[in-house]
Amino acid sequence: MIRKLLPLLLALVLLCACSAQSGEKTEEAAPQAEERTSTIFAMDTVMDLRLWGTEEQLREAEREIYRLEDLFSVTDPASEIHALNESGEGELSPETAELLSGGLALCARTGGALDLSIYPLVRAWGFTAEEYRVPAAEELESLLENVDYTRIDFDGLSRVKLPAGMEIDLGSVAKGYASTRVIEFWREQGVTSALLNLGGNVHALGAKPDGSPWRVAVADPFGGSGYLGVVEITDKAVITSGGYERYFEQEGKTYWHILDPATGAPADSGLVSVTVVGENGLTCDGLSTALFVMGAERAAALWRESEDFEAIFVTAEREILVTAGLAESFRPLDEYAGAKVTVIEP
Amino acid sequence: MRTRSWIILIGALLLVSLAFCFLLLGRGASGTVANIYQNGVCVRSIDLSAVTESFTFTVSDGARENVIEVAPGRIRVLEADCPDQVCVHAGWLADSAAPIVCLPHRLVIRIETSAKAADGIDTVSQ
Repeated sequence: MIRKLLPLLLALVLLCACSAQSGEKTEEAAPQAEERTSTIFAMDTVMDLRLWGTEEQLREAEREIYRLEDLFSVTDPASEIHALNESGEGELSPETAELLSGGLALCARTGGALDLSIYPLVRAWGFTAEEYRVPAAEELESLLENVDYTRIDFDGLSRVKLPAGMEIDLGSVAKGYASTRVIEFWREQGVTSALLNLGGNVHALGAKPDGSPWRVAVADPFGGSGYLGVVEITDKAVITSGGYERYFEQEGKTYWHILDPATGAPADSGLVSVTVVGENGLTCDGLSTALFVMGAERAAALWRESEDFEAIFVTAEREILVTAGLAESFRPLDEYAGAKVTVIEP
Repeated sequence: MRTRSWIILIGALLLVSLAFCFLLLGRGASGTVANIYQNGVCVRSIDLSAVTESFTFTVSDGARENVIEVAPGRIRVLEADCPDQVCVHAGWLADSAAPIVCLPHRLVIRIETSAKAADGIDTVSQ
């Protein structure tokens, strides 16, 4: 009798153990470090904030993002950048100065594939007001005369002067800078787990509360129903630039918003999407645009001489390339499941 | 008296255990998600109960291919370039009884209770 009942008793004990374990999990969360989320609209995009911390830490992060937006906005007449573009010179706050110097360093590092002074061309193509048009070659040429980041006269601290006709936009690095600021603020506050998504720019603090890495999906640049793949990260930003983000079609041709500063036309490097993974959000943000312009070959060369980022590239032929540091943590999904992934070796 | 309380206790435990068994079994029977595994990794999950129109897609490892057809409530391997064609001959799979296996391509299609691919995606970089 007892022998027959033994398996059942064992099963019961196991079930009890299971429920006891799940009970423990809920007790772990201290009242101070609860999961808190918010969604805000800033910098022309939707932002999701998620942290295991206090309500005040969440609100403070929101305020910081709004504050940075007010400083950097290229369209807000009250912003420092707007004032600079209007008058050709200005005195920058420490945050704007830090963003500008970080951005300029990336322009130099990418040989001008990223150029903060491309704004007049972005406007000429209608990407700022969503009134799309294809500018004539002469128009592009004359606008290009004022595109050259090396002519931005910046003392590295606060004073900046622009040559006549030049306008700058920090939009290509602003979200990455903002996410890094928020993550650093939370880290100083002792937060150990948080995830930001600023308009598609992902930035994680630490790992998930259970210690496992964050699973960040990368959008399918061809607009399929699923994802390109998933990358597992801890304490990193994952920032993607793709032609699919903003584009228009005219006479059967697609024009996207990522412009090549060398030609003034949409970048035509054979890539349709670039995802950059690294610790610094500003670097990842600027590099995702620059590598898209540079194309796989030049991008791989830059990666080989760098130590602060890894990348995933998708070509127009649907080929997926990843740098060696992501070979283990990136996995294609959905329509790309099982697809060949070429690893770029050091 | 002592013996009687033992019998009552064991009887109660028996009832509770049985209830759990039914609960677990009942949950298992309602599985309608097809999980497609390649080399042991789930590469795609399809909720068959949500499929209204048939479609096909290809699972490839770069060299070897299986064309999968999905219809409302069921799934099969339509074509494959494997030598034995066992997966194609297996026909439609609609329940969790036995998976479709393509051994040469290390591909397994299983009907399970929950999606195993893309699970736990925390956010999307775009």
